[in-house]
This record gives sequence, structure tokens and C-alpha cells, in this order.
Amino acid sequence: MGVVGHRYPQGSYTIEPWEDRILRDTLGAPPARGDEAHPLWGYIAAQSGIGTDIEGILEPVDAKPSEGTMIASCELAVERELRVGVPYTATGEIAGLERKHGRRTGPFDLFTFFIDLTEPDGTHALRMTAVWVLPRREDHAAA
Amino acid sequence: MPLLEPGALAPFEVESVSAERMRTLAALLRDPTPIHFAPEVVQQLGMGEKVINQGPANVGYVINALLEAAPDARIEHLHVRFLANVFAEDRVVAGGTVERADDDSAELAVWLDVDGGARAVEGRATLRRR
Repeated sequence: MGVVGHRYPQGSYTIEPWEDRILRDTLGAPPARGDEAHPLWGYIAAQSGIGTDIEGILEPVDAKPSEGTMIASCELAVERELRVGVPYTATGEIAGLERKHGRRTGPFDLFTFFIDLTEPDGTHALRMTAVWVLPRREDHAAA
Repeated sequence: MPLLEPGALAPFEVESVSAERMRTLAALLRDPTPIHFAPEVVQQLGMGEKVINQGPANVGYVINALLEAAPDARIEHLHVRFLANVFAEDRVVAGGTVERADDDSAELAVWLDVDGGARAVEGRATLRRR
């Protein structure tokens, strides 16, 4: 469990109005009111804002998106609604890596990480916690 | 007046989940996972025949149901589990049940069902009046 507590590089994300429009169109969501961003940005801005990409999120736990990685659960704890045009700072770390065995699926790991988004004045906006399923081969040791 | 009346939310329905919209979302998310845009990879992995919708998109449908039910509220907390895949061309329905509500907040059970198939997402949400 040496990877628990691993901190990802800090990054930032600004939700552009055109991105929010495209996301809303993609989801069939109601139009934006004022500068509020669709709440799903809590997930997207966190994952996109942290200072690495999905491959980098998975690198410390020796997994790759091409191996069939899937999301198991997601939690958004929101203190401040996200707004377009605000440069949020993203910080995050690995919170867990647990080996499981499925009768049908074989071995897999449950990989938990969280990312915090903070406004420019330091106000905490939200925490996004995700759990991903990482398919493993029998000979793959837990990280 | 409570934020929401107890009972079921009006459902949010997607008649046919679009593979093209998955490609758009893959670019927006910068998500290289091929199961969202390469059906041959889905088949190679033994996961089905059609591309698989992004989990966050499935949550987005649930959020849409909440936004339409309570436009004067914000989502304070949302926790969802992903139980089954949603494939291209599936018809899905997002819904919720208000379990407790007062003037300022409401707690709900929420879900996304594949029409004629499995429950894809389930969880809980807390809304708070703006």
C-alpha cells in the first residue's frame, strides 16, 4: 500500500463558457443560468485540472486506460458551486488501493483517489472522490 | 414551503445514447479509454458489441433530473455507484425519490436505469436552496 498518500502534481482548470455549452448539449442539460457551470464539472474539472492526465493518474498504480479501467463510484462534496471563467487550483492524492477477486472477473484492484478544487482566494470549492476498477492479471502484485 | 415535495421526481430520459456524443465527451474529458470510441476494443475485451458510455455522462443524466426538479437548489452532495454499463443506442431513464425535505434542503435516492435492462447508476443526493 505504498502508493496511498501519493500526491499528484498540482494543476488548475478554468471552465470556459463554450466548454460548458458543449457539455450541456452532450448531456441534454438545461441551459446555464448566469455564470454557473453544470455540476458535472465537479468531476471533469477535478480530473482535468490535476497536474497530470488519466495515464498519469494511473501510473503510480501500474495500470493503463487500455486495460479496461472502469469507474466504480464517484462522490462530489460541494461547498461552492463551480462557475465558468474561474481558475480553480486542483490538488489531489491517492487514498486507497485494495485487491479484490471476482469469480467471473478474476483479480482486480479498487483504486481510490480524491481531488480538491480551490478558488483563487483559497476558498475550498469541492472534493471529488473517485473509485476506479483496475483489472489485474493473476501474476500482478498489488502496488 | 419545502424545497421539494416528497415522492418521485419527473424522469429525465435519453431516447438513444449517442456514440457521437461519447466521442465529443472523450475529447472534453481528455479520456483516452478506447471503450468509449472504439467498438472493436469493446469486443476484444469481451465487454459487448457497442461502445460504452462514460460513467460521468451517466451521472450527468442523474444531475439533469435534479436540476430540472429543483432549479432553485444547488447540489451539495452526490454519491453514486456504477452498477452496469450503458451502451450506444440504449434508452436510459434517470430518476429520484425525495426521502426528506424541509425549506432549505432535501435528501434523495437517485438512479439511472437502462430501459429493459439493468440499473446502471444508483446513489444519494443532498440539495440545498440557493
